[in-house]
Amino acid sequence: MYQTSDIRKGLKVEIDGAPWTVTEFQFVKPGKGCAFTRTRLKNLISGSTLDRTYKTGETLAPADVEENEMQYLYNDGEAFHFMNNESFEQIEIPPTVLGKSSLLLVEEMVCRVLFFKGQPVDIVLPTFVELQITYCEPGARGNTAQGVSKPATLSTGAEIQVPLFVEQDSWVKVDTRDFSYVERVKR
Amino acid sequence: MSALDPYALRIRGRALAAARAWFNDHAYVDVPTPGRVRSGAMEPYLYPLSSGTMQLRTSPEFALKRVLASGMGRIYEIAPCWRDREHGPWHAEEFLMLEWYRAGASLEDIMEEFTSLVAHLCAALNLHPTSWRRRTVGQLLLEHAGVSLRDATAEDLSEHQESWDDAFHRCWVERIEPHLDGSLLVYDWPASQAALARTRHTTEGCVALRCEAYLFGHEVANAFDELTDRQILLERWNDHNALRVSGGEAPHPIDEALLDATGKLPRCAGIAVGFERLIAVLCGWDNLHRAQVSP
Repeated sequence: MYQTSDIRKGLKVEIDGAPWTVTEFQFVKPGKGCAFTRTRLKNLISGSTLDRTYKTGETLAPADVEENEMQYLYNDGEAFHFMNNESFEQIEIPPTVLGKSSLLLVEEMVCRVLFFKGQPVDIVLPTFVELQITYCEPGARGNTAQGVSKPATLSTGAEIQVPLFVEQDSWVKVDTRDFSYVERVKR
Repeated sequence: MSALDPYALRIRGRALAAARAWFNDHAYVDVPTPGRVRSGAMEPYLYPLSSGTMQLRTSPEFALKRVLASGMGRIYEIAPCWRDREHGPWHAEEFLMLEWYRAGASLEDIMEEFTSLVAHLCAALNLHPTSWRRRTVGQLLLEHAGVSLRDATAEDLSEHQESWDDAFHRCWVERIEPHLDGSLLVYDWPASQAALARTRHTTEGCVALRCEAYLFGHEVANAFDELTDRQILLERWNDHNALRVSGGEAPHPIDEALLDATGKLPRCAGIAVGFERLIAVLCGWDNLHRAQVSP
């Protein structure tokens, strides 16, 4: 168990069966009272935040979380298969855990997978990925009155917004955090 | 902990000089008292550091009260103090405590002097003066937590199973303190948290004649209408020690000289100000360590 004096940014704790990480903390001591540590926590799975106050002497349960680098292998239609690059162990991650991230996955991509009590619960893709555009309107035709961008479909299935000059079949660099276009790349 | 900040140290130096000038102008005598003492504290949640067979003071209060009882009427000290187990942006193990005591003064008188001193420091540091609002603990509890100080049970104040005082403090930290912006004088604390203050009966129940000054959410000063009853002080000391022992802590040594002095005190009031914290909050810094030289 962690003591209040162990509380640091990044400490991972289990509350009501879910893993949380400390994002902010402050030691507070009312004039004539015992000391407390005010914390702000982020849910490692949903990203939601929670404020909790711990009295000195109270304990926090460590969260059984582990983060591994895993390589994406293939999708069998039901689950996504990944391999641990160190142990070569293979696991399946259901689409519900991957969420939108699955739309940017390419084979052999190395991702960070978060495990809670041995189960994969979250995945973080490399920040940037280079993908080919499989479909978009030609530059001129997408040039509407307001438009400075146009939709483009990537080889992995994701649809992103690209500038008008970007043509079909070209390669682009995409920010996986918000699915935004970064730049064209030569392949 | 932090790199030396000559700018902040100049500000602290200027504030110290301005404070001493204010005390001179108000006929206070500077009375340095020892840092090593027989008993470092009497409150349950203060943790004095040991120094050989003695302790390091957590406040100069005990010694200054002996001086007051000897017949001096207006005394002050800017005293290095030590408190174990207090760490963070707004706490330091060693810090400067400014305390002053005045015979014949009421809590109101001493708070008036405090606001006058803060105005004087603001002028010396070219800062905007602050205008103080006042509230009682009962008003704040009702306003922000919807409970009455007189009637609230521990369960009304906290979802945890804990003593009334711990529940009160959790409620204070979680539900009241985040709303304390600007400059605020908070009066009439629960009688169980009177420490060295006298108590009185009000419509909010029996309360301690104590005032805490809050600046932008930080407690910067604590004042007492001083207890002058030897027996009550001894009872509180024993109660606090029982609480400490039940929590696995050593009891605080009872300061017999303070007990004797307390019985001889005139009606008086006194105040303790965390000096570096006050300066840091007034200057808008995000910690008090800027105003210190790290050990």
